Amino acid sequence: MAGNTRSTRRRIWQTLSAVRTGIILLILVVIAAAAGTFILQRPTTGPDQMQRAYSPQTLAWLDRLGLTDVFHAWWFVLLMGLVCLTIVAASIERFPNVWRFFARPYRRPDSHFRAALPIQKTLPAGDSEQALAAAHRVFRKQGLRPQHVVEDNQVSLFAERNRFSLLAVYIVHASLLLIFLGGIVDAVWGYRGFLALTNGQQASQIQLQNGTTRALPFAIRCDGAGQENYSDGTPKRWWSNLVVLKDGREAERKQIVVNDPLVYGGIRVYQSSYGSTGQLDKVMLTATPANGSGAGQDISLGQDETAQLDPQTSVRLVRFIPDFVVQDNQIYARSNQPDNPAIQLEVTSKKAKEPALVWIFPQFPNVAHDSKSPYNFKFRDLRMGYFTGLQVSHEPGQWLVWAGCLVMALGLFTAFYLVHMRFWAMVVRDEHARAALWIGGACNKNRPAFELRFRKLVEEVQTELKQEESQARASAREASLASV
Amino acid sequence: MARTRVERQTAAPANLLVVLVGLGIAFLLFMAFLNVVKSGNLFTEANLLYAALIFYGGAGALYLGFGVTGTDSYVRYASLATWAGLLANTAAVAHRWYVAGHPPFASVYEMLLSFVWTLAALTLVAEKKYGVKVIGTVTMPVAIVGVVLMQLLRTDVHPLVPALQSTWLHVHVSLAMLAYAACALSFALALMFLIQDKMKTETFLAATSLAVTAGYIGILTRFERWGGLSVAAWDAAEKQDMFLQRGVRLFVTIPDLGWLFCLVALAVAAPFVCYLLAGWRNDESFFAIGNRAVFVSILAQVLALAAFLARANGSYPSLDADGLFPTSLAASPFILSGLVGGIFISLLYLLLLWRRTDLERLLPSAEVLDQVTYKTIGIAFPLLTLMIAAGAYWANRTWGAYWSWDPKETWAAITWLVYAGYLHMRITRGWRGRRAAYFAILGFAVVMFTFFGVTYLLPGLHAYA
Repeated sequence: MAGNTRSTRRRIWQTLSAVRTGIILLILVVIAAAAGTFILQRPTTGPDQMQRAYSPQTLAWLDRLGLTDVFHAWWFVLLMGLVCLTIVAASIERFPNVWRFFARPYRRPDSHFRAALPIQKTLPAGDSEQALAAAHRVFRKQGLRPQHVVEDNQVSLFAERNRFSLLAVYIVHASLLLIFLGGIVDAVWGYRGFLALTNGQQASQIQLQNGTTRALPFAIRCDGAGQENYSDGTPKRWWSNLVVLKDGREAERKQIVVNDPLVYGGIRVYQSSYGSTGQLDKVMLTATPANGSGAGQDISLGQDETAQLDPQTSVRLVRFIPDFVVQDNQIYARSNQPDNPAIQLEVTSKKAKEPALVWIFPQFPNVAHDSKSPYNFKFRDLRMGYFTGLQVSHEPGQWLVWAGCLVMALGLFTAFYLVHMRFWAMVVRDEHARAALWIGGACNKNRPAFELRFRKLVEEVQTELKQEESQARASAREASLASV
Repeated sequence: MARTRVERQTAAPANLLVVLVGLGIAFLLFMAFLNVVKSGNLFTEANLLYAALIFYGGAGALYLGFGVTGTDSYVRYASLATWAGLLANTAAVAHRWYVAGHPPFASVYEMLLSFVWTLAALTLVAEKKYGVKVIGTVTMPVAIVGVVLMQLLRTDVHPLVPALQSTWLHVHVSLAMLAYAACALSFALALMFLIQDKMKTETFLAATSLAVTAGYIGILTRFERWGGLSVAAWDAAEKQDMFLQRGVRLFVTIPDLGWLFCLVALAVAAPFVCYLLAGWRNDESFFAIGNRAVFVSILAQVLALAAFLARANGSYPSLDADGLFPTSLAASPFILSGLVGGIFISLLYLLLLWRRTDLERLLPSAEVLDQVTYKTIGIAFPLLTLMIAAGAYWANRTWGAYWSWDPKETWAAITWLVYAGYLHMRITRGWRGRRAAYFAILGFAVVMFTFFGVTYLLPGLHAYA
């Protein structure tokens, strides 16, 4: 029984660590992600738009299967979890082998190795010690750091480069896990919401994407916001002067623009939009007495504000529609832009029993005034209320993500461009028992370039050996001459 | 690499093309010069682009001549013309950069400008460094289409909306450009590998037909009731798309074009059907019919292009609003490039059909191509990674979220996963040759979908350009 469970466990482990499993999971992730782009996704797509796009039955099924919010569905999270697990399992399974290779480099080539190595060259050498010394010099000249390996009373040379690149794959996989970890941290502890403030307003609650609100540990006040335009009228810059209020005291102040957020206590406040609230700030009017007795006076009114025109008469702004249309004898707002405003005033006079209602349509100045009003009103200008749209986000995991990206870039660079090269040199005896210098090389990628390098190294060793030989011959001749 | 030199053909016909193209370039330059003298303004972007177009056109003709006849001397003159075109193109890019004050990546026009530049530069690199001479036959026509498309698009310097004013955007887009160019190169190399790997010409027939049909199916997603084809409305004065409301484009329906495109799609699919029939009936004669069907499909595609060109400028009714709205060729760059691309792919198949032996002689060996494909993906993959990371960083600085699963992001991730799959199969499973080449082709198909398909079919944050 125990053996049985062990074998089951073993089988699960082998399945998890197999490359095949990883590939199948990758394919599943790709399919799921693609589905998430073809099917309209909830919060981003509004409920009415969803209902327009799909029939109720289809929508019900899509919702039940989590296909309307693929990237937050439990099965997608599970899939990603399994991907992480296979990466970990595959790494653990393969790591010991690579580590052995990394930690204990093969430094002295034995005869089997020498026979099997594809890149090698044997050069004739007169003196074995001098041949090895020549190889040592050339290795040094090539920027290698050769080590002397002594084994069985025989000295050989070993040099290598970028051994570290053997571990590159693990660096890349670890960086992927780091990025996932950052994502998980943000999914659990992070949040992201929206906040709209008008000038002078302050708030400490944000609207989250799922419709709920969340309290911030501080309050934000807007001390002014605005938009600058290019000459063609398109927006160039949005800015907001923000104040962070902690326990009622001002803690920080910054002007934010798009791409330059305010950061306070790990919470970032971004400028994300700027627009008209559809609410009136002030409308400027000129009021002249209807009977023509007296000069006009300038007044400015906000919504539901009252202005005294003379001791008997006052005027109040009762209704403002930024962009009106008339339909079935009713007035409707078409948009929040003050393109075609309609203003309704209520003129109260102590002389008249009932207040007079006056409509003003600035785009249609010729529309007749209500004759009951003791004053005529002329439209001068109006100012709309504006809000600044702020995106508030708390992403404690983002540093893990950026670190992961950096590590991954390094890992990929190492994996693709750093070649682990090894060189060996030792003196061997050929079948006639003459000394020869054997040089071998190995690389783990980009073999053509390595072969060129190896050939160059061998050539240099050859010239070095020849020089030595001629020197030796010259000194031998000198010696023989001297003896004569 | 020792390879048999193509025997020089008789001098007269071989140099005739060079002389003709040279005369053509000289004539066009002279005409352009007259124009410049009249306006008194030499270094405007339009003039520079015109010069680039002339030189690219000449280079394209010469490369095509090389592809068809295999005459080596054509390539020398062709790369000379490409150099000249690249010089003019560089000047245009520099001019644009100087006037706009930001690198030219902000609009479709500017992207095309940079894309054509990258393409020409890569062509020269591939030719000089790797000896892939025939590549100009493929890339130069694409460059020409790019420059022609640019003439249709909004050219005035358009100021950047606030979200785009970031260095990270430029980093992101440059990396994307480089990564996609490397992917395209790996795709071309994989195709060449398949040619050298003695893949049957019939298989290419089926693949060509399938690819073009997929393009037409993509276009026909805009098929509208009663046989119309829906295209974006175009504001000629503003040189931009019309909007119903913020973020919602206004579409108009060109009547009858939908049916026509359906018929052309059938004609385009016919060679693939022939291929299937040949396999099913075990009858080789269907291949000959399929090859003839390619001719028919090219004629049909030219007809479709002509009909589209004739009818794309005009005013048409819309399903979403009352009245007639104008549209223009410039409003439908994707449909246009789909139509032109389809014809181009079919012509490439003909080149293969007629000149296969020459191509096999001119291309590097299968083994080299396999290695170089892998190396190119080894360049593309880190670039893709950095591109996604830079995009995430930019999004985080602008919207406060580094990843929001918008379609373009998701598809970029899918591209990354596909190439990751390729690398795993190649490195741990030892996939070489055909299977690896298929994988490289799949990867580029996904890149194309991310680049064109997502913008055309799926909505998202990347709708700025």
